[in-house]
Amino acid sequence: MATLTIDGREVTVEPGTTVIEAVRRLGADVPHYCWHPGLSVAGNCRICLVEVEGMPTVQISCNLGVRDGMVVHTQSEKARQARQDVMELLLINHPLDCPICDQAGECKLQEYSFDFGTDGSRFDFPKVHKPKHVRFSEKVVFDAERCILCTRCVRFLDEVAGKDELDIINRGDRNEIAVARGDELTSDYQMNIVDVCPVGALTSTDFRFKSRVWFLKQTRSVCAGCSRGCNVTVGSRWNRVLRLVPAENQAVNKWWMCDDGRFTYRDVGADDRLGAPMVRKNGRLVEVSWDEALAAAAEGLGNAGKDLTAVVSARLTNEELHLAQTILDHVGAGERGYRARDFAKDDMLRTGDGNPNAAGAELMGLTPFTTDLPGAKHVFLCGDGVEQNEDLSSAAFVLVADCRESQTILEFATVVLPSVTAFEKRGSFTNVDGRIQRVEPSVRAPGSALEDWKLLGRLLAKLTGDAAPTSADSVLKSMGATRPAFEGLSLGRLGPLGKSTATATAAANGEAQ
Amino acid sequence: MPVSKRLMEHAPAIDAPPQSLADYKATGGYKGLEKALKMEPDAITQMVLEAGVRGRGGAGFPAGRKWSFVPKNTGKPIYLACNADESEPGCFKDRQLMERVPHLLIEGCVMACRAIGAQAAFIYVRGEYPQSIAALEAALIEARDKGLVGENVMGSGWACEVWVHQGAGAYICGEETGLLSSLEGGRGYPRIKPPFPAVEGLWSSPTIINNVETLANVPVIVRDGVEAFRSVGDDDTAGTRLVGISGHVENPGDVEINPATTTIRELIEVHAGGVWKGRKLKAVIPGGSSVPVLPADAIDVPFTYGAVKEAGSLAGAGGVIVMDETTCMVDALMNLMQFYHHESCGQCTPCREGTGWLEKLVTRIWSGEGSERDIELLDRVADTIGGAQQGKTICFLADSAVMPTKSFLKHFRDDFVKAVADGGSPVFKARRDRHAKTSTAAKTGTAAKTGAK
Ligand SMILES: Cc1cc2nc3c(=O)[nH]c(=O)nc-3n(C[C@H](O)[C@H](O)[C@H](O)COP(=O)(O)O)c2cc1C
Ligand code: SF4
Ligand code: SF4
Ligand code: SF4
Repeated sequence: MATLTIDGREVTVEPGTTVIEAVRRLGADVPHYCWHPGLSVAGNCRICLVEVEGMPTVQISCNLGVRDGMVVHTQSEKARQARQDVMELLLINHPLDCPICDQAGECKLQEYSFDFGTDGSRFDFPKVHKPKHVRFSEKVVFDAERCILCTRCVRFLDEVAGKDELDIINRGDRNEIAVARGDELTSDYQMNIVDVCPVGALTSTDFRFKSRVWFLKQTRSVCAGCSRGCNVTVGSRWNRVLRLVPAENQAVNKWWMCDDGRFTYRDVGADDRLGAPMVRKNGRLVEVSWDEALAAAAEGLGNAGKDLTAVVSARLTNEELHLAQTILDHVGAGERGYRARDFAKDDMLRTGDGNPNAAGAELMGLTPFTTDLPGAKHVFLCGDGVEQNEDLSSAAFVLVADCRESQTILEFATVVLPSVTAFEKRGSFTNVDGRIQRVEPSVRAPGSALEDWKLLGRLLAKLTGDAAPTSADSVLKSMGATRPAFEGLSLGRLGPLGKSTATATAAANGEAQ
Repeated sequence: MPVSKRLMEHAPAIDAPPQSLADYKATGGYKGLEKALKMEPDAITQMVLEAGVRGRGGAGFPAGRKWSFVPKNTGKPIYLACNADESEPGCFKDRQLMERVPHLLIEGCVMACRAIGAQAAFIYVRGEYPQSIAALEAALIEARDKGLVGENVMGSGWACEVWVHQGAGAYICGEETGLLSSLEGGRGYPRIKPPFPAVEGLWSSPTIINNVETLANVPVIVRDGVEAFRSVGDDDTAGTRLVGISGHVENPGDVEINPATTTIRELIEVHAGGVWKGRKLKAVIPGGSSVPVLPADAIDVPFTYGAVKEAGSLAGAGGVIVMDETTCMVDALMNLMQFYHHESCGQCTPCREGTGWLEKLVTRIWSGEGSERDIELLDRVADTIGGAQQGKTICFLADSAVMPTKSFLKHFRDDFVKAVADGGSPVFKARRDRHAKTSTAAKTGTAAKTGAK
């Protein structure tokens, strides 16, 4: 171990640690543009300069290894002056078009200029002009004038995404980032370059100009695109989800997420969202009160008993799956299971399993569904009424709880309970590695749609006569008693990064419980 | 004052064909290698260390010390990269070695490989030197044919290959790590240190980079012995130096000298026939364009690293650029800043943005649009970028732009003040007047024609 002194504070770190990492270990930071904890060290922006006693020149803290007894000053006159010099140079050819720049509000140029830049510039020449609005792909647009050539984007694609698709062309202050292989970016992870770009040079075609970022409500949650469960920050405004960006979680997605995951929010604003409970009367679905719909649902389930065939979605939260299982146990349903959903698979994040909570479903004792639905007499599509279009004409009772309209619902549903998307509810998912992570609502669901845990809780109450649960958290807290994987957990205790329990991890690894 | 010929002792005349293998051998060529093959590799390094030969590429780092940094037994191959990019303005000495005594360099490369445990050497030659490449390629064919390079060097059972690689014309590829990036097929981007190339260089393997002239000294050291080598020069600068003298002199060219006994003034007055056209000397940049300029009265110092440094500049890569009394230093500095701005690889912020700013400022002063404030700013912006190896940038190109700027202003501020006061540098005004004349002439011409119609 090496003990060094940084701005008068001692810190002990492993050999091989860099000075910038040691500074961050103390809860402080050194300004940086090109350095990113998930990428190789480039050392080109030169803003992370610090002074080290005994070394004649200032040093970039990102490439300086710690040594025992080292004395580092990040705030000395020399270090501050050096950084201020670099800051001035960074801005001389920068367009300073902050008012129309999408990065404004989360731009490191703005931040550091505010922190230690000078007012006014000594540079009074026309700026170097470079291409703007360069299309890198249908997802990403590049503005070469705003680019500070930190190469984070180049390194991300090469080192993390394994696609060496960007490079630098020209030389000196004519340097530009350009698509170097093929005509446009093809990586399924390319939108991460928008996030790693410290300035507004790379913008997402999907998000740009939708909202100034400081107006966004930022909610930490989990992507429901696949069973990886990448941690995300959902940006919303006007009760609309406007973007998803990755939130750091070293145990899950590090700093990244896939592009498909970013577009999962599109379900939220779909035209065919269900907003009111419905019951089929005289062959037609008509809107009814929740009470009437739940009563009809309970009655139908009660009548079905062991003849009930239930498809429970592995997109439901752990709490919801638990409630669904409790209902099915109570009714004594014979056939039950979840439907596997395919998704892209690669060796980075995407697992190939489009169910965000397949592991949770397995922990609840659900297995992939094998029986054919056609022919079933009594059917409960719990969160699973949208994608498959089976012929349920022979069924006497079809209960559907889902958030969007579908052919199945329109043609066959007896009772429809409108539920919500993963962006509108609270609860937890168990990811592919058995990590239990918290899902938080960022927007409100349309009409009188209810979170699945709420509607399932009420349905259960109708069946048993017990009181309905008051929150997803209360469901999680109580289910631990019968489900060891969740013992002792609460949504609060999961924290922002989630928790792995021994049982859940063992189950995820395919070990016997 | 005697000319001290050692590397160029048997070199053919400048316009004659390169020295053949037979001629080289007849004058002691490959004797050094023969001796080295019988020595322990470390003993060769030790000799080079004791000889005290310092890097001739500019920085003057002791070659033997550099070689001793190569880690042993890493399981990786070790490489030698010979820096023949000779991209520093004012330098053209390596070219003389490659085009006149190519075998001396090849022998030096093979011996250096032997010492550091490498079995492959890459000579990175600047693209603008097709004759150097041809001479080396031809010499390599001879050397391979005679078993001096290749599978079985001089029958020793030890293999060593030498490759010639042609650069594509970028100053930055002469910077040692930029050279490595380029050799690997990437952009000529210098690399951050650590890791140092001796530990992690070409293809992440230990690599020694040496200048042509540095390596050309190795056969001489081993063949003649340390003492003989050190009999020329002094403790600070052991051995001879090849120096190119260019600019406003009667006979520009290269000369091999004893640095301890030859002053900069002698280089100009004796070896280069003095300042041309009977004019007086104004300024000298002694070590290639990247070092501080010296005023005419500061050049009575021997051409050793130490003495030139004491005089306020650096002996650098041995390129003496001479400027006569008619030179406008604003014009000269503008030329240099155009170069550094054009050649900055653009990786680091201070150099990428700053070299352009420096060029813009000098150009404004040069063209009569400048003010006193611009002169002041030129000096300050230079400080902002770096200088004197401040550590603000990845490589020394930025510092190389700063050193001339600061020294031009220090010694020749009057020229800048004058350009501001007189509406531009004399060169600018002459050009403008010439242009005005030609365009008037053109106009009158047109008028006459029209009249004739
Ligand atoms: C911008 C720049 C250009 C350089 N160009 C050359 C060059 O053309 N030839 C050379 O030998 N060294 C050049 N150098 C110096 C090399 O980086 C390096 O110090 C040298 O090749 C090491 O060899 P030596 O120790 O034998 O001198 C340059 C350095 C810089 C910063
Ligand atoms: S586009 Fe952004 S991430 Fe890429 S080099 Fe420019 S500033 Fe850096
Ligand atoms: S890898 Fe899976 S969880 Fe992660 S962002 Fe993509 S779809 Fe969402
Ligand atoms: S100092 Fe200039 S030339 Fe050297 S690496 Fe930095 S930008 Fe490139």
